[in-house]
Amino acid sequence: MDKAAATHLTGFTLNNAPVQVEARVGERLSQALRDRLGAKDVKIGCNAGDCGACTVLVDGAPVCACLMPVQQAAGRSVETLAGLAKADPDALRLKESFQHHQAAQCGICTPGMMVSAVALLRAVPEPDVAQVQDALGGVLCRCTGYRKIIDAVVGAHAADTLQESTQELGAPARRFDGLAKVEGRDLFGDDVAPDGALVVRVIRSPYPHARFTFGDLGSFEARPDVVAVLTATDVKGLNAFGVIPGFIDQPVFAVDTVLFRGEAVACVVGEADAMLAFDPADFPVIWEPLDALMTVPEALQGGAPLVHADRPGNIMCGGFVACGDADAALAGADVVVDGFYETSFVEHAYIEPEAGWAEVVDGRLHVQACTQATGMDRETLAQVLGMDRADIRILPTAVGGGFGSKIDVSVQPFLALAALKTGKPVRMCYTRVESMQSTTKRHPARIDIRVGAKADGTLTGLTFHGDFNTGSYASWGPTVANRVPVHASGPYFIRNYRAQSRAVHTHCPPSGAFRGFGVPQSAIAQETAFDVLADKLGMDPLEFRLKNALHDGQPTVCGQVFEQGVGIQACLEALKPAYDQAKQACATFNAENADVKRGVGIAGGWYGCGNTSLPNPSTIKAGLRADGTLVLHQGAMDIGQGSNTVIVQIFARAFGVPVADITVLGADTDITPDAGKTSASRQTFVSGNAARLAGQALRAQVLQQANASDTAEITLNGGHLHVVDADLAHAVDLSRLEADAEGYVLKAVETYDPPIAPLDENGQGIPYAQFGYAAHLCVAEIDLKLGRITPVSFTAAHDVGRAINPLLVEGQVQGGIAQGLGMALMEEFIPGRTENLHDYLIPTIGDVPPIETLILEIEDAHGPYGAKGLGEHVLIPTAPAIFNAVYDATKVRLMHAPATPARVRAALKEAGYV
Amino acid sequence: MNLFDYLRPASVSDAIAAWQPGAAYLGGGTNLVDLMKTGALQPGKVIDIARLPGLDRIESLPDGGTRIGALVKNSVLAGDPDFAAAFPMIAEALASGASGQLRNAATLGGNLMQRTRCVYFQDPHSACNRRESGNGCGALGGDTQNHAVLGWNDACIATNPSDLCVPLAALDAVVETQGPNGRRDIAFADFHRLPGDTPERETALEPGELILAVRLSSNAAASYQNSRYLKLRERTSFAFALVSAAAALQLKDGRITEARLAIGGVAAKPWRVPAAEALMLGQPPDTDLFRRAAAVALEDATPSGNNGYKIDLARRIAARSLALAAAGTPTRMPALPASVFGESAHV
Repeated sequence: MDKAAATHLTGFTLNNAPVQVEARVGERLSQALRDRLGAKDVKIGCNAGDCGACTVLVDGAPVCACLMPVQQAAGRSVETLAGLAKADPDALRLKESFQHHQAAQCGICTPGMMVSAVALLRAVPEPDVAQVQDALGGVLCRCTGYRKIIDAVVGAHAADTLQESTQELGAPARRFDGLAKVEGRDLFGDDVAPDGALVVRVIRSPYPHARFTFGDLGSFEARPDVVAVLTATDVKGLNAFGVIPGFIDQPVFAVDTVLFRGEAVACVVGEADAMLAFDPADFPVIWEPLDALMTVPEALQGGAPLVHADRPGNIMCGGFVACGDADAALAGADVVVDGFYETSFVEHAYIEPEAGWAEVVDGRLHVQACTQATGMDRETLAQVLGMDRADIRILPTAVGGGFGSKIDVSVQPFLALAALKTGKPVRMCYTRVESMQSTTKRHPARIDIRVGAKADGTLTGLTFHGDFNTGSYASWGPTVANRVPVHASGPYFIRNYRAQSRAVHTHCPPSGAFRGFGVPQSAIAQETAFDVLADKLGMDPLEFRLKNALHDGQPTVCGQVFEQGVGIQACLEALKPAYDQAKQACATFNAENADVKRGVGIAGGWYGCGNTSLPNPSTIKAGLRADGTLVLHQGAMDIGQGSNTVIVQIFARAFGVPVADITVLGADTDITPDAGKTSASRQTFVSGNAARLAGQALRAQVLQQANASDTAEITLNGGHLHVVDADLAHAVDLSRLEADAEGYVLKAVETYDPPIAPLDENGQGIPYAQFGYAAHLCVAEIDLKLGRITPVSFTAAHDVGRAINPLLVEGQVQGGIAQGLGMALMEEFIPGRTENLHDYLIPTIGDVPPIETLILEIEDAHGPYGAKGLGEHVLIPTAPAIFNAVYDATKVRLMHAPATPARVRAALKEAGYV
Repeated sequence: MNLFDYLRPASVSDAIAAWQPGAAYLGGGTNLVDLMKTGALQPGKVIDIARLPGLDRIESLPDGGTRIGALVKNSVLAGDPDFAAAFPMIAEALASGASGQLRNAATLGGNLMQRTRCVYFQDPHSACNRRESGNGCGALGGDTQNHAVLGWNDACIATNPSDLCVPLAALDAVVETQGPNGRRDIAFADFHRLPGDTPERETALEPGELILAVRLSSNAAASYQNSRYLKLRERTSFAFALVSAAAALQLKDGRITEARLAIGGVAAKPWRVPAAEALMLGQPPDTDLFRRAAAVALEDATPSGNNGYKIDLARRIAARSLALAAAGTPTRMPALPASVFGESAHV
């Protein structure tokens, strides 16, 4: 048999309709469904059975379509979400329940979750929590923290009785883009390329550090299965990308030397079927492996080779904040605690791997891919391609999770270069291994901390030194280095403080942006040291924090004084009832158990919203057409967090009409002004403010047309705009106004940029216009004999200023806690060793305990309607709260994350536990 | 993925006749398809046995034993009420393994043939004597947290990842096979091999030999009232065991009349030590006794790297599984099978 041509005609039923596919032998059912039968509702997250996103029902049983050769489906019944969502009674109930409970955030795992849940509900119409956890245990979700998915499935039988909330600002409205997610219609990076697009494959280094030369590229490119080869010589602009001015250092294609395993050296472009069969080992490249620096101590050792010749000592950059005299304060303190902490690489592990497609249209380049930052993607491509920005259009897809990594470009430069070179549509989707090897990670940290207090519990001084493994290229390393010293005090009043950070190069993948930008790492050191300090002082950890909590009018360690809006005290106080109850319950539990103990841990956190002391504008545009259509150009990328909903709620309030009256145009660099990147907890705050300003400005124009006062009411009804002012109704005839090129008769484009000021050499200044505040309480159980920790419950208090949408707030909090839990207990990316989702573990549905979210609303003067950013402080207190719970139960300090059984046992042993 | 021939034979003998060096049998695909994608395995021919007739039955044998066809799905076996009542720790081990999706696809025979999770085996760019004889072992001196502490040598320090195989070992299962030279039975203790001089040979199967079924004796079911499988993992579900143990006891008049103990995650095969079991005979069940038995079971353990912690943990999981077995098989499958935590901790 000619293997290359070997195909089998396979027939089965797909959603009750007979289908036949001519598929290659061994082709996965998932691929046949997606590429040959158009079933894009079957999502592929890992292609290895580890994530469950591709779950389909085969003869009624949920299986991973990615592990089933299509030939094994012959004669069977295959059901997918798109089919089920049309008529299956359980799926219809789940659709309603998933939306009501906000069980879908980014939506990439939703098909797998819902299909698995349909199978469960067919067998058990009213399942309990444990049954749901068992049935959905094979589907990973990185956004929701699972509890809302559990609620949705447990509550599905009662879906008919669910009441939909209103959509106005402050209401727990269902997300406005939710229906497509629960029907499998949302289109992600790999779902949008046209049939016949060429496929781009990347040739990557298998070594963390190597020199390389190419063989005969000419004859390789002449192979019949190869349409084009791309290398550094094809890069017409700058062969470098990056995100921070002065640190644009990562080549699109390495030249001569690679600095991390997974670094790209070339691309091969070919027809889809040919690329499926293509073996990267055939590519003519000769590697000469070199010694690699994989850890910070290796990189800092005297005489260590330099990763970048122009960065002495392998130190890329640093950050520094100091106030008062920290050393003198510590010398004079009654009690001092110090400690050395280590954390690991953490992988973002969104379920959607990087994917997209590109084509050249009338001389302009179109790139459609999953991204957190359309504007930055365009800047980067303009630079790499040597093209005018105006000739580049970035049209994002739905984003199946980002958490920071999709701010950087990934597939975009390859797609752009391939489309330009071949002149044809091209597509690519990273494999899970590629995604994990080559995209950014959370920085591993090595932290020395010293903190002192007076006998009465008043904090007197704190010193902090953190070295962060920033990997081979800069990415967001400078941001981490800047942010950490500003935040390492926690939200407490400390007058003597010195914090220093360094970003250190190694031959690891680039570390970059990951929810919290280094603050989750520093919070582990600071918040757990606080508990030891409180213990030494004989103080209750919650009382200790309340005593030192930052108040309005007190300077932060940067000397910034907020006269309003400091919410940490409110967060801590909100935990008090749960805390007292948990202490009691743990005491009872511990009296009855010898080998297993429970403890209560508290940790606080804060997060400055937006860029650190840098401009950070968002622009939002809105307009009215002559026919009365009100259009909002909403360019803030929704990566699951909900800006497609929140920004619209804010705009509706500002303009003064119901959400239903608004037509929303999503992000597209050709039609939406730049709303900045989705990062740094900035969209609700910054883009929300731009939306508020745009709404208010457009409203003012309308009122002016009617000569009405500020308090007038605007109604839009069937194309008729009315303004009611003091009981007088004015009809505004929009058709008499002249329309602009976009068709708008009235238009507002407004920009908001938070007021900040530069930091001086001691880090004194105004880094952020606002902070969000948080405090978590964790009850955790620890098995003293086996070293396994399991969180039993969380209570999470978050000051969001104003909850624009409380349902989305809860979603952010629960999802953040799941990520913090993973970081604390199981997640450790080891380059070259844990490049898949079964060796790299993220929490499953069984790992996240019940979470009670307490929403505090200490309004912020700068926030839209008082709102503060939320996306990152959801995660910051989680890991230290877990560690503090273990300390409460055992008096053992955990100082190395993740606290795996091996590490926990070692710590217990050292503390004298047998 | 490499290119290969695919065929679906109609019978066991056709399947065996179709086998040639470099061919692979395909059952549920949960392991093979993944390894083919990563390039760790590159068969030239895939023989799809998933629909071979007669291999998907659970049968009671005239002698009181039970015979499980090689193609019985993990979820079917774990969910069979009669089987789960007779062999609760097998059901618990199955239910604690992988995910619902995978259990719906994975077969009994495939589970026995599951390849190691050693990351150096999985990565075609790392040296591995299992993947290719004489290639070297990248794991030695590497990241060895999950590697063997028993039965390893310098050629290979990988472990067997199966949950199911641990209780099967404890219960002296028999593997029925058919190969080019006919049918034979293989005692479970002989089925998986320690690396020795031929780490690339993981099982006793001869080239082309196919698993037909696994048999359990009536005596294996006699401990149904006192048996448990316990598994320590780094997350609550959908994770391989760091260490695990299957313990089954028969008790009469307050004394142990039969003890079975197998430990998983510590070696290239489930680990059983007759002396550890013998030690418990005639004794009343007691935590101290179980601790001593576990200590004997781990007596020969040595770290193969930075994995000494596993020795302690294996000892403790073994002792705890014995104690839980002595306390009695739970009346229903725990909500989180094989968990070391109480149920209330998670829900």
